[in-house]
Amino acid sequence: MYYLGVDVGSVSTDLIVLDERLNVKDKIYLRTRGRPIQVIQEGFKLLREKYMDEEIHACGTTGSGRSIAATLIGADVVKNEITAHSTAALEMDRDVQTIIEIGGQDSKIIVLRDGIVVDFAMNTVCAAGTGSFLDRQAERLDIPIEEFGDYALKATTPVRIAGRCAVFAESDMIHKQQLGYYEADIIGGLCEALVRNYLNNIGKGKEILPKVFFQGGVAANKGIKKAFEDALGFEVIVPDYYDMMGAIGAAIIARNAVRKTGRTNFKGFGLADSTFVSKSFECAGCPNCCEVVRIYENEKAIGCFGDRCGKWNTSLPAQTIA
Amino acid sequence: MKITFPHMGNVYLAVKALFDGLGIEYVIPPKNSKKTLEIGSLHSPEEICLPYKIMIGNYVQAAEMGADTVLLTGSCGPCRFGEYCEMQMNLLNKLGHDFKFIVIDAPGDIGVSELFNRIAEISTKSRMSKHKKLQCVKYALDVINLTDKLDAKAHWLAGYERKREECKKLLHASKRDAARCSNPKEMIKLLKDYEKKFDNVELDLDKDPVKIAIIGEIYTVIEPFSNLYIEDKLMSYGVSTRRELTPSWWVKNMVMSPTRLNSLDLKRHSKEYLRLEIGGHARECIGEAVKAYEDGLDGAIQIFPMGCMPEIVSKAILPRISKDKNFPIMTLVVDEMTGEAGYVTRIEAFLDLLERRKEHVLSGS
Repeated sequence: MYYLGVDVGSVSTDLIVLDERLNVKDKIYLRTRGRPIQVIQEGFKLLREKYMDEEIHACGTTGSGRSIAATLIGADVVKNEITAHSTAALEMDRDVQTIIEIGGQDSKIIVLRDGIVVDFAMNTVCAAGTGSFLDRQAERLDIPIEEFGDYALKATTPVRIAGRCAVFAESDMIHKQQLGYYEADIIGGLCEALVRNYLNNIGKGKEILPKVFFQGGVAANKGIKKAFEDALGFEVIVPDYYDMMGAIGAAIIARNAVRKTGRTNFKGFGLADSTFVSKSFECAGCPNCCEVVRIYENEKAIGCFGDRCGKWNTSLPAQTIA
Repeated sequence: MKITFPHMGNVYLAVKALFDGLGIEYVIPPKNSKKTLEIGSLHSPEEICLPYKIMIGNYVQAAEMGADTVLLTGSCGPCRFGEYCEMQMNLLNKLGHDFKFIVIDAPGDIGVSELFNRIAEISTKSRMSKHKKLQCVKYALDVINLTDKLDAKAHWLAGYERKREECKKLLHASKRDAARCSNPKEMIKLLKDYEKKFDNVELDLDKDPVKIAIIGEIYTVIEPFSNLYIEDKLMSYGVSTRRELTPSWWVKNMVMSPTRLNSLDLKRHSKEYLRLEIGGHARECIGEAVKAYEDGLDGAIQIFPMGCMPEIVSKAILPRISKDKNFPIMTLVVDEMTGEAGYVTRIEAFLDLLERRKEHVLSGS
């Protein structure tokens, strides 16, 4: 008996398989590359080798691509990332009081007390300090992103960089490079700047108490972890499956949901072989002009998104590809 | 003269009833859409607040339909809305639209006689007797009160309905049908019929839904396009919502303001945290948050457009209220973005938070 969790994020798509006791049996990390459907199929191809459809007793989706993923695989629950991340963290440690989650495009803070979420915040208009920005800087400096954190740890006197805005942080960095500063000090400075920005922006007005969990792809970066510890003055814990927490949370929530309903909606791994086509159009039915996207599986419409009135969604079963 | 006016929630129904009654030609701009916003942000100053941009879109689209006069409420207020009319006149002029603006300001700001002069610019276009004209104003007020009442009913009952989205569908149907009426009496009758229909919605009164107050800047809480249809979303989730700032509240508040007896309850509730009028509806926002807590709601969502000065002040005060009262409040800032993913994530996570708290309290753990 296994539980499947799928987290379709902006940068990565994670699939996780948990066993009955919620131990991780399998994890798959794939780059989304803007193609959520194909990437789920890719993941399912890998999972199909090891698991039978009947063995999956619950499945849940999360991440910004959660709705499309849910339609595709027949998810039992579709959950937002904040709830998914906190569910996973609490499963590992009931005492966690703060979760710092930094992903590809989002950064979030989740405040928990006595095992429940009491407050949270998410970056609104600024992407400085998220994974995509770090990726880009690593690329520009020609350093593999995996080694980025190690460079930061080598810094002796981190250079001050303005972390307020991704664009200006970059020009600040370029400027310091041109002046000949040591590379490790610049990277160290960047990590500090991002942490400063995070604490001033997302963490503003929030009480950050230990234990602090650091989750999301950016938690792999040791430089950022250290910068957080320096700024906060206590240890920041990076859980084992820091980059899979969303998917783990989705799987756990799905298990709980199926316990109530008694059966799963999981469609099976067969969809790896299906052909998916998505078509979008602007509905002319009323002045709302909704951008409607419709997904076809083997020429049969399976899902519709973007319409406010629900007319496309409800008219689905009879529709086939035009 | 062909009058138009910017959209703001259900206001267009009341204005329609008024002009249909008076027999004055008017143009209702197409409902707010991406296109409206596109036109608006193309011409507007980049840093101006969202309502301004949407309104510019309304005017330009109305001009395409033959409108030549804009009816606008002013405020001479201590927020940027007070400058909207002058700036918009200027901008539209530059764009080559020869609009005449009729700005209805509060009598306290422009004097009663000036207010009557301005109203006369419209009312003299109708050949009816004074008595009949007043009758039409009464109809328009009835419409605005009724539509607000229907909104409030649907938003609140959505948490208790047995059939999912029944309230939402009924509410949308009421507006669709009201827009098709050709005279005010017909519209009022229709809205009253819909009011009765809401009484027949099958309810499960044993339910204890999550209850949320929608607070914040008046335009963005009232105009659904600007807040990405948050109330529709919450109705679909089966959440009960309450919103105090409505067009009918605004009318009542403006009429009462010279007597200083306006919105006494909100003033009373805001007293502890914000005693002064600091512009916009910041004080009301604070009052509503406290009131929502005292009325036993589960949480509040504050909405305002990016750069809104009064609401930034209230945003800074809300965490204090939240802490003092142990009452969750979430802030959503709206701007030109129409991508909903992050927005929906926040709303859903907030609902999860409120639900979990509820369970926690009920189970006594």
